[in-house]
Amino acid sequence: MFVSDFRKEFYEVVQNQRVLLFVASDVDALCACKILQALFQCDHVQYTLVPVSGWQELETAFLEHKEQFHYFILINCGANADLLDILQPDEDAVFFVCDTHRPVNVVNVYNDTQIKLLIKQDDDLEVPAYDDIFRDEEEDEEHSENEKDDGPEPSEKRTRLEGLEEEIVARTMKRRERREWEARRRDILFDYEQYEYHGTSSAMVMFDLAWMMSKDLNDMLWWAIVGLTDQWVQDKITQMKYVTDIGILQRHVSRHNHRDEDEENALSVDCMRISFEYDLRLVLYQHWSLHDSLCNTCYTAARFKLWSVHGQKRLQEFLADMGLPLKQVKQKFQSMDSSLKENLREMIEESANKFGMKDMRVQTFSIHFGFKHKFLASDVVFATMSLMERPEKDSSGTDNFIQALDSLSRGNLDKLYHGLELAKKQLLATQQTIASCLCTNLVISQGPFLYCSLMEGTPDVALFSKPVSLSLLSRHLLKSFVYSTKNRRCKLLPLVMAAPLNAEQGTVTVVGIPPETDSSDRKNFFGRAFEKAAEGTNSRTLHNYFDLSVIELKAEDRSKFLDALVSLLS
Amino acid sequence: MFCNRAMEMVRELQRAPQGQLLAFNEDGLRQILEEMKNLYEQNQSDVNEAKSGGRSDLIPTIKFRHCSLLRNRRCTIAYLYDRLLRIRALRWEYGSVLPNVLRFHMSAEEIEWFNHYKKSLATYMRSLGGDEGLDITQDMKPPKSLYIEVRCLKDFGEFEVDDGTPVLLKKNSQHFLPRWKCEQLIRQGVLEHILW
Repeated sequence: MFVSDFRKEFYEVVQNQRVLLFVASDVDALCACKILQALFQCDHVQYTLVPVSGWQELETAFLEHKEQFHYFILINCGANADLLDILQPDEDAVFFVCDTHRPVNVVNVYNDTQIKLLIKQDDDLEVPAYDDIFRDEEEDEEHSENEKDDGPEPSEKRTRLEGLEEEIVARTMKRRERREWEARRRDILFDYEQYEYHGTSSAMVMFDLAWMMSKDLNDMLWWAIVGLTDQWVQDKITQMKYVTDIGILQRHVSRHNHRDEDEENALSVDCMRISFEYDLRLVLYQHWSLHDSLCNTCYTAARFKLWSVHGQKRLQEFLADMGLPLKQVKQKFQSMDSSLKENLREMIEESANKFGMKDMRVQTFSIHFGFKHKFLASDVVFATMSLMERPEKDSSGTDNFIQALDSLSRGNLDKLYHGLELAKKQLLATQQTIASCLCTNLVISQGPFLYCSLMEGTPDVALFSKPVSLSLLSRHLLKSFVYSTKNRRCKLLPLVMAAPLNAEQGTVTVVGIPPETDSSDRKNFFGRAFEKAAEGTNSRTLHNYFDLSVIELKAEDRSKFLDALVSLLS
Repeated sequence: MFCNRAMEMVRELQRAPQGQLLAFNEDGLRQILEEMKNLYEQNQSDVNEAKSGGRSDLIPTIKFRHCSLLRNRRCTIAYLYDRLLRIRALRWEYGSVLPNVLRFHMSAEEIEWFNHYKKSLATYMRSLGGDEGLDITQDMKPPKSLYIEVRCLKDFGEFEVDDGTPVLLKKNSQHFLPRWKCEQLIRQGVLEHILW
């Protein structure tokens, strides 16, 4: 059921109990987790935090811990599948689920006792009505008993015959009605569960809770901002929703940070300040050189077509148009001439407009503390993402999770800077892989979708075995492909991408990306499509990730899986 | 040269890192005591000879041996005393039950001394703070908060909290627990205190 009053029905319930937190492995979940941890520490709520990266880990961790806790909080996991079925908990276990994955499974919505959803009810949910999906079984049984009682009476044969006929007619009517109802139910559920999409960021939901209890801090606000920006970076929400949410956060930012404008009572430079920025969407540009950032941001790289020589020339034209000397642009941004940096944003926006890039600037926030440390929200998102998804020697993903969680605290700046370096490598590798895929025509059209597969020996292929990195690569590849191809029909196709995961076990990670359109509503149908294709061909797949559009597949089953997918989608 | 063994034992202690208890050097001690016995006997016979035979040229030798004896004694006592100080620190570090490794490093007499020390510390603690006594080995630094955030560095298994409920300590899980329960585990290196 949906929790209406977060404070009374959630926070005050867990305040005097020990709780277990299951946190999924993405940046939004990490931010929500930080906010909740800060609240719990303020109120001395004893908790245990367990990172999970997939359904199997959730199950194992639950089995290990279920005797010790009655209250479980799941962050960014668990809403889109039947929790009670998967976890098989005891009668008195209560689950609080704060998840952005939609559609929320109907069992989770209509269970009144054990599952409480920390989701606002107007968060574009469209849950089917109760009567359309569930039906009391008792009515049918009673009816059939009555019918039995109306058994044969030895007298009045004729009335008995008539009575029997009526019975049979009534029974067939009921059966037909029931079949119709079931067909309708199947349709409704199919429509409801067909497309996967994402709702409001969990970090924002947690911040809202903190604000309701008047326990919100600037730090928590920053984490909420990072959570929202993560959703935008990974294209999980529509542009309109992003702008609306930015507006909401903007109000909080001005409430917490208004002292900047007042010169007399300005805060010391060491205090943390958040400010609203209408800044360039060039990735990491303040921590890198402007040239590198232009080459490695998907937006500019795709539109300039930087994988071709012609594209490189256009980039140089662009820089020349603004009057920025190449030498300046290629050195670290912080060492650029301050005269050039002064009106940089407006200059770039103007020139970008001339070159057909209308959305060069985007609304976002930045944080500063001390003289040296200034970060945009997207910088932090990329840094944390790279920390979390870097390839590691130890097979449990929890080390990376812990590093990424630590990097979000302001006291661990060295980890954040390390993350920034890793992010730069990741972005470079992404662009190079895209360039090689496009130049060697690795993206082939399979009919209803495009398909691209990374070979085992490709450089940096190890960086793309995890779901978020691979999704980011695929999305950028699709965007770049749309700009590179002349085939109008191919521009509207979705993309399925495969990358090797584990050479010994012969598995690949497969991810499905919806087609790239200007007004896309970011709904992804590949989750269900993959499931059906796998069932149909008995391929050995593992639907372990919480995002159903990313699966693991045995390399040998690849071709029959793809064939099934083609026939399913055409 | 005399007193070499004693010097070696003292150097051994100096080389050991701060607070670490090495194995009790039974052999070394025995050798020193033997050396002392030899010196003493030689001295004894020489003294008798000097007294009865009037050989005053033996006196420097006697003095020299006497100095060696004193030096040996000083070194041995320093060795034993330093070890006792380390063992005393162990009580404050590890609590009343020592890990087996350390127990093997102590001689029987040292173990007895440790037990006596434990007992007198316990009696003292019981005498403070009214009926229940006060555990002064907790909170060596003034605590800033009731509960602390800890992260588990290795798989430890189940751990009981005050009200009896167990907490499963798995690698890389984070917990928010009362400070006094975690201190022991932090000292043992199983948990790591996270500062925000």
